Amino acid sequence: MMPLSMAKEGEVNTIIKVGGKEDTRRFLENLGFVPGGDVMVISGTGGNLIVNIKDSRVAIGRDMANKIMV
Amino acid sequence: MEKKEGRLKGHKDVTIMDLPGIYSLSPYTLEEVVARNYLITERPDAILNIVDGTNLERNLYLSTQIMELGIPVVVAVNMSDLLEKSGDKVYLDKLSAKLGCPVVAISALKGTGIEKAAEKAVELARSKTVNAPVHEFAATVEAAISSVEDKLGQDIDEEQKRFFAIKLLEKDDKIIENMKSVPDVSAEIKALEDEFDDDTESIITNERYTYISSIIGECCKKSRKKKLSVSDKIDRVVTNRFAALPIFAVIMFIVYYVSVTTVGTFATDWANDGLFGDGWHLFGIGTSGYNEAVDEYAVRNVFTEELSVVVDDAGKADIVGAEDLQGAIEDGDFGAFEEAYGSYADAFAEAGYDLDAVLPLDGEGEFADAPDPADYGVWVPGIPVLVERLLDAVNCADWLYSLIIDGIVGGVGAVLGFVPQMLVLFIFLAFLESCGYMARVAFVMDRIFRKFGLSGKSFIPMLIGSGCGVPGIMASRTIENDRDRKMTIMTTTFIPCGAKLPIIALIATSLFGGNGFVAVSAYFIGVAAIVISGIMLKKTKMFAGDPAPFVMELPAYHWPTVGNVLRSMWERGWSFIKKAGTIILLSSIVIWAGSHFGNVGGSFGFGLDMELSDSVLGYIGNGIKWIFAPLGFGDATAAIATIMGLVAKEEVVGVFGVLDFVSMTQLAAYSFLIFNLLCAPCFAAIGAIKREMNSAKWTWFAIGYQCIFAYAISLIVYQLGSLFTGNGNAIGTIAAVLVLAFLLYMLFRPYKESNTLKVKVKTKKANA
Repeated sequence: MMPLSMAKEGEVNTIIKVGGKEDTRRFLENLGFVPGGDVMVISGTGGNLIVNIKDSRVAIGRDMANKIMV
Repeated sequence: MEKKEGRLKGHKDVTIMDLPGIYSLSPYTLEEVVARNYLITERPDAILNIVDGTNLERNLYLSTQIMELGIPVVVAVNMSDLLEKSGDKVYLDKLSAKLGCPVVAISALKGTGIEKAAEKAVELARSKTVNAPVHEFAATVEAAISSVEDKLGQDIDEEQKRFFAIKLLEKDDKIIENMKSVPDVSAEIKALEDEFDDDTESIITNERYTYISSIIGECCKKSRKKKLSVSDKIDRVVTNRFAALPIFAVIMFIVYYVSVTTVGTFATDWANDGLFGDGWHLFGIGTSGYNEAVDEYAVRNVFTEELSVVVDDAGKADIVGAEDLQGAIEDGDFGAFEEAYGSYADAFAEAGYDLDAVLPLDGEGEFADAPDPADYGVWVPGIPVLVERLLDAVNCADWLYSLIIDGIVGGVGAVLGFVPQMLVLFIFLAFLESCGYMARVAFVMDRIFRKFGLSGKSFIPMLIGSGCGVPGIMASRTIENDRDRKMTIMTTTFIPCGAKLPIIALIATSLFGGNGFVAVSAYFIGVAAIVISGIMLKKTKMFAGDPAPFVMELPAYHWPTVGNVLRSMWERGWSFIKKAGTIILLSSIVIWAGSHFGNVGGSFGFGLDMELSDSVLGYIGNGIKWIFAPLGFGDATAAIATIMGLVAKEEVVGVFGVLDFVSMTQLAAYSFLIFNLLCAPCFAAIGAIKREMNSAKWTWFAIGYQCIFAYAISLIVYQLGSLFTGNGNAIGTIAAVLVLAFLLYMLFRPYKESNTLKVKVKTKKANA
């Protein structure tokens, strides 16, 4: 298990857990970051990531990416 | 947050409400709350739910929630054109059966199917058939929902019960505002949480995704296995950690180069000298003929030996503007000569060099027998000329003539002159926005903006604000976090907008010999002001706390349609033009009155040729000039110019001719520039701040902050600058040092947020 921010570019990972404060977690869940879902990192700059989730592209900050465990 | 209202073509009785784009009906973002409250309280007759066909799975998440509202729903699958292209298939009939509502295909980009979708929604609204949600969650969850449903009071309609029951289970506190009585559901919540070992909201979120995953296989077919799409490949390059910033810098350079220098200058010249000036040659027909004729005329009649002698003498005596005049005579350029003559003739006359005596002027001070541009090619007269003709034809009174021509047409025209350049900039920005690049810019800039307490999304308002602050401030709407949005609104107008450029240009040319660094430094000051304010404000109690975590959906890259780009450009431009037509029109009249009423021979009266110092405006300027004395520009004209800047920044230039600066030192002029760049924006932008802040208190705070900040920076620059140039005075220096020390303290004191944040978390836990 590792935070999403550590995942390699272009690799498909499965989300194991979404952590963080309640608001943050729910926000992420609404965006499709739910345990069991597939996520792929497309590119990253300084910890901020662009990921592919449920067939759409989402940009997330490093602090958020650290809370998503894959 | 705005909803947009419109009417359906061909159905006069149908009103369409466009709600903000949302991912769910949860209460986390302002958009979601706005949309949700509208749907619950206004209860529209039908909902047209537009979903993105290229990522159905995610979009259906919201659809399952909408289905629970007890309002007829039509689902429109958008991007059908992209689906066809990629070979993916969505089976509409199956989707319809699984969702329990009609499903149609549309393409918003191509405009196909939209009318059919709307018709379907109207038909459904008329029949009043509510489609009950057919999606089902796990048995235990369903049991909990129906148990809560039974507890709900009479005030909630049967069809809405499922929605409210789920929201109560999710512990959504905001929903209580929409309910008369709230039943106690803690038992159901506890039972569910114990069973699933998770909190209820996550359980229900998971149930929704589980249901969607279970139906998605039947409803759509993907042609390819997971592979990098074109957009992904572009993102790899454009948001690459090394290339992202250079690529962004190059794109921005091209945008500003084209819209400010080449096309922009051409458009602004046309608007200022043509449309709101004497007139212009249609499509440039006749321009070259006229230019030749006029230069020929100048060489024969104007640039005489006598003129050269006077100008050369003035040059030897170092009279301001002599160099410009000499240059124009040497080049044989009549246009440049006329401009310089207009600016400097009075200074020449005062110094005893009478240009008029050696120029072929007629009785009205015009060049006698000069070629008329209207005689060449296709000449279209400008608006002032047309209005003048009309007023002459009806024998208008002198004062009214002056009000209309000098006050209204002059004032509003000067402002509208910026519209073309602004529109060019907005075309570019609209293109970048609708092709999907702007969202990436926010992503790339977030890394940098986070360091001083703003989010990457704050960057787009500032970019637009470099054209005009009004649409810039309006663009801050997309920032969900309240703190971040307020801070963005407060700092966006620090960036020099189009109307501040003339002030910069005026000071650069009149006192710094046209040095380009003055303009560059103006932008630098703007950016520095944002950074400093960001850090300072972030450390105050009001703005404490991290900027909201950055999350943003990135649309796929695509070519925008011409219509979309033009519409977006026009919406932004129009918000500016509307202001010019209302606030600026009114202020132009007030200012005209202020400069034409005043002391006439010892008593109050009206005068057409009133000296500024005798007018009401002049008296006001004299009365308040002491305020600006510590900043180095404590004379009445500078004070009036600064007040006029509130109407529209370029008005500063109108009050302050080139000559008025000559008496100023470079330092005082620069301090004047800083103050006018950073202080409260024009009335139009203040209006926009008021609307976006939606609170008088916050608006006053923003304006007050900007003015005090501008004053502080100008004071520091002027007083310490004076000290270093050897003209400092003790009180001023002490004041400047104190202000600087305070500023540095505000910048470098530790963040307070960690304490407040912990306290908040604790209280939350204590409640739970």
